[in-house]
Amino acid sequence: MSKKNIIVVGGGLSGLMATIKICEAGGEVKLFSYCPVKRSHSLCAQGGINACMNTKGQNDTTWEHFDDTVYGGDFLADQTAVKGMCEAAPKLIKMFDRMGVPFTRTAEGVLDLRNFGGQKNKRTVFAGSTTGQQLLYALDEQVRKWEVKGNVKKYEFWEFIRIIKNDNGICRGIVAQNMNSMEIEAFRADAVILATGGPGVIFGRCTASTICNGSAVSAVYQQGAEIGNSEFIQIHPTAIPGSDKNRLMSEACRGEGGRVWTYKDGKPWYFLEEMYPAYGNLVPRDIASRAIYDVCVNQKLGINGENRVYLDLSHIPAEYLERKLGGILEMYSEFVGDDPRKVPMQIYPSVHYSMGGIWVDTKHNTNIPALLASGECDYQYHGANRLGANSLLSAAYSGTISGPEAIRWSESDDIGEELTDEQLAAAKQTCVDEFENIINMNGKENAHELHHELGDLMNRYCTIVRVNKELDLCMDELKKILVRWNDIGVNDKGHWANQEAMFVRQLHNMIIYAMVICKAARMRDESRGAHYKPEFPNRDDEHFLKTTIASYNAETHEPNITYREYDHSLIKPRPRRYDVAKGGK
Amino acid sequence: MFHVTFYIRRLHSICGIVPMGLFLLEHVLTNAEAMGGPAAFNEAIARIALIPHNIMLVIEIFGLAIPFLFHMIYGLYIALQANNNPAQYGYTRNWQFALQRWTAIFLFVFLIIHVVDLRIFTKGGGTPISYALLDEMFNNMGWFVLYLLGMLAAIFHFCNGMTTLCMTWGIAKGPRAQSVVGKLMMLVCAVLCIVTIAFMASYKMH
Amino acid sequence: MSEQKTVHFIIERQDGPDSKPYTEEFLVPYRPALNVVAALMEIQKKPVTKDGKKTTPVVWECNCLEKVCGACMMVINGKARQACATLVDQIPQPIRLAPARTFPVIRDLQIDRSVMFESLKRIRGWIDVDGSWEVNTAPIQNPYTAATAYEIAHCMTCGCCLEACPNVGPQSDFIGPAPTVQAYLFNLNPLGSFNKDKRLNALMEKGGITSCGNSQNCVQVCPKNIKLTTYLAQLNRDVNKQALKNIFNK
Ligand SMILES: Cc1cc2nc3c(=O)[nH]c(=O)nc-3n(C[C@H](O)[C@H](O)[C@H](O)COP(=O)(O)OP(=O)(O)OC[C@H]3O[C@@H](n4cnc5c(N)ncnc54)[C@H](O)[C@@H]3O)c2cc1C
Ligand code: SF4
Ligand code: SF4
Ligand code: FES
Repeated sequence: MSKKNIIVVGGGLSGLMATIKICEAGGEVKLFSYCPVKRSHSLCAQGGINACMNTKGQNDTTWEHFDDTVYGGDFLADQTAVKGMCEAAPKLIKMFDRMGVPFTRTAEGVLDLRNFGGQKNKRTVFAGSTTGQQLLYALDEQVRKWEVKGNVKKYEFWEFIRIIKNDNGICRGIVAQNMNSMEIEAFRADAVILATGGPGVIFGRCTASTICNGSAVSAVYQQGAEIGNSEFIQIHPTAIPGSDKNRLMSEACRGEGGRVWTYKDGKPWYFLEEMYPAYGNLVPRDIASRAIYDVCVNQKLGINGENRVYLDLSHIPAEYLERKLGGILEMYSEFVGDDPRKVPMQIYPSVHYSMGGIWVDTKHNTNIPALLASGECDYQYHGANRLGANSLLSAAYSGTISGPEAIRWSESDDIGEELTDEQLAAAKQTCVDEFENIINMNGKENAHELHHELGDLMNRYCTIVRVNKELDLCMDELKKILVRWNDIGVNDKGHWANQEAMFVRQLHNMIIYAMVICKAARMRDESRGAHYKPEFPNRDDEHFLKTTIASYNAETHEPNITYREYDHSLIKPRPRRYDVAKGGK
Repeated sequence: MFHVTFYIRRLHSICGIVPMGLFLLEHVLTNAEAMGGPAAFNEAIARIALIPHNIMLVIEIFGLAIPFLFHMIYGLYIALQANNNPAQYGYTRNWQFALQRWTAIFLFVFLIIHVVDLRIFTKGGGTPISYALLDEMFNNMGWFVLYLLGMLAAIFHFCNGMTTLCMTWGIAKGPRAQSVVGKLMMLVCAVLCIVTIAFMASYKMH
Repeated sequence: MSEQKTVHFIIERQDGPDSKPYTEEFLVPYRPALNVVAALMEIQKKPVTKDGKKTTPVVWECNCLEKVCGACMMVINGKARQACATLVDQIPQPIRLAPARTFPVIRDLQIDRSVMFESLKRIRGWIDVDGSWEVNTAPIQNPYTAATAYEIAHCMTCGCCLEACPNVGPQSDFIGPAPTVQAYLFNLNPLGSFNKDKRLNALMEKGGITSCGNSQNCVQVCPKNIKLTTYLAQLNRDVNKQALKNIFNK
């Protein structure tokens, strides 16, 4: 086998960036993805990508970007890593520009910048309202070039199932399944990079794509990888609730004068304006989410008793709306069927992003040798809360680190023996048996219904407000769901494009991951960033200025939670004050 | 790099106007004289007959027969590449696209009949084309309808072909330009069709 | 609540690439703002036909549910559309779903569009940068040209335009409007234009731009409203010029 043979799982921004770096270093990549990589979730990102370009006469500095990120993350992010990312950001943007990303430009033809939440300076580079799509396409095109050159072999419509370790516990391959032919195959590699994105689908409906199920992360976690800070889940206050997914409604709506209200005693109640007279509808994201939650869940004042409130633009002149928010309103009309220029929109907070993920060091190594992780599936860069437009950056940047690091592994002697044919065959057989067992399940439960219940449970207890008693309850319920999983009945017994059977396997992984989120939230008795406990309303640096580490206990299926020190030496933690409006998306 | 398909396609496009389009116009104009009665028509025919026989034959073979056959045969091949779907996608342009192909197939047959009958058997057999000859031929309702449809099909095919040509050669680019060209050509089509119907009707009028 | 309203679906199914198609009918509980993907998800939860027969869940492809990934294209009531952006309220019932048969069917509504990605290789759909490392600052661009590029760069490879194009299909080798127009996107870019002639020459090959017959279905169905026919005409112009260059500059 030729040297420098790397497996990359995931073709989002991060996986593609890593792939390019590996090819440039002369490596060969097997690239696995659920979908053609050009359809990866990264393309949902609308707002933009942060980088200190300093072209607006504001004397913006990378240090300030660094500071904003650390502060926004409530000081829970590894500062060496964040600093590296902020310093590299402008270079990455120039690279994307050369690759042909059609960024929005100023009259002079240079890249335009916009304001974004949590940052004083204009620092967000954007391509209209589809930045993620454009960035992903640029990398997709470069990878296609490498594919033509023969350095990349794509395995699209393949699902990653598990990693394979050699006798020394070093990750030297994976097992994956072709989603059409259902054939399961084991692959050798020098090193493996996971770039499988976020776990939003564990919450049932979220703003992410249907493939963001965290299943791959859960699989390697069950094989010994540690998960960091999993309790930090970002909730976006204004999303359009849907039975299929919650669609993000940009915060620009509030910025342009949108008012949030619901009926109380038969009259419109502008509760944000009443609760926070100083900031009104422009309170920061987490505060808005909590207020809407309080009104709907505790006071039961949601529209028609459902969990939704109005976001009202109908008082603003249609012509002004068209100019400022055209595309966004289009999307609402398209997916809801109502015209937001005439009737108030109905919104509710939604799970949006996971700050937590596989624990990695600053080089994106997991605790399993030769297994790396980058992108939203890792825990790095965002601490307790992510700034808008920072995750496209972290996804791309982390790929520029994980790729070369994988090459380093492939050139070092530390990777030990490659997998023997017997090891490959054994790993494959485990997965084949597991899959056949799933196909033969004949119980009473429908997997999709069970997933729905899982989502409801997680949404109820593990999102905006967390209460220890309820988290205990949630954990018990999750255990019950895990037991009920065994009683699933699979309707589709075929061996061709059997989406149902694959979903059953993913669901198992999702339940296990859900337990990690729940337990980690239960253990962190403080409020920090996206994690809010009314019982412990303050940040507790004395006890919790630490990374939460979850490792799998195969007996109980529950995580063992420990805490790990990290580097916060560069900027001293200071209080993150919520009475300073952060605005932005 | 020599892209055979490309040049053939472009040649096919040009053949559609020169000589085919021009020849079609010539037909319409000459035949329109029929409205002026037998004398006018025969006079028009006589004008064409002034061209010396040998030269005419060369023109007919190289200027007409070869380009026609090429356009027809290659066109048939193009038409067969299409999976016409106006029932599903009932947009005007798509109907025109489908009609272009349906008329192509019809014209393929019609032109063979027309040329074999009039040019090869009749004229080639020594009988000159005259008003009386056509009048007698059109007495038969079958011939009449066939020729009327043939003319109308050819006119539509030509005019719509011009619209497509404006796009193929990048002449009409934007949506407005394309729509203007499209409408203009359909106007021309309508005028030519009216003229055709008129002169064809004149055979039946007396 | 009054009695449960339902939506009637007639779905053309097919168990595998070589199996015979058959139809199954389903009743899905109505909900405001129900879209076709959400309805298919309901069928997943309760895979029972209208007549009460248990069946397998319908197979289809989707990711983003926001009309950006392109995955969920299928033929809905006779026209190629994105299922996630098709509200059942806005189309007549019963709603007929069928796979886009311009492409090989994998199973049910899932199709194999790999040919589109192959075509992107053929038109050299990338900018030839030296590498992802720091080289130069990128050239300044005319903001208006960049805006045009932005429009074309929205193409999500959904294949609606190929499904609607009468000239694309098993009977022809036309690569179709989407990949053709992508060539223009790269030609517009200041760095991409260095390889303009290579892309134009690729379009002159068999199955390239000459196979377009100007039916203009593509521009009608494109869910991203890309002015495909405008760019096809522009490309025609460019290709013709390139042909002259090929003849006279050698
Ligand atoms: C609606 C929305 C808007 C957003 N807006 C912004 C924004 O404006 N700015 C910003 O910075 N960030 C934004 N984000 C966040 C950002 O989009 C993501 O965090 C980022 O794109 C993640 O990239 P990634 O490469 O890690 O993963 P993804 O792009 O999610 O890619 C994951 C890849 O892994 C593959 N995969 C996953 N599991 C498996 C498996 N088991 N087997 C095989 N393949 C697998 C998938 O097929 C896919 O190719 C937004 C997110 C959402 C949901
Ligand atoms: S205009 Fe050309 S590419 Fe578009 S649908 Fe018609 S034939 Fe196909
Ligand atoms: S051009 Fe439009 S219809 Fe065609 S693939 Fe692209 S987005 Fe889809
Ligand atoms: S699911 Fe992405 S376009 Fe419909």
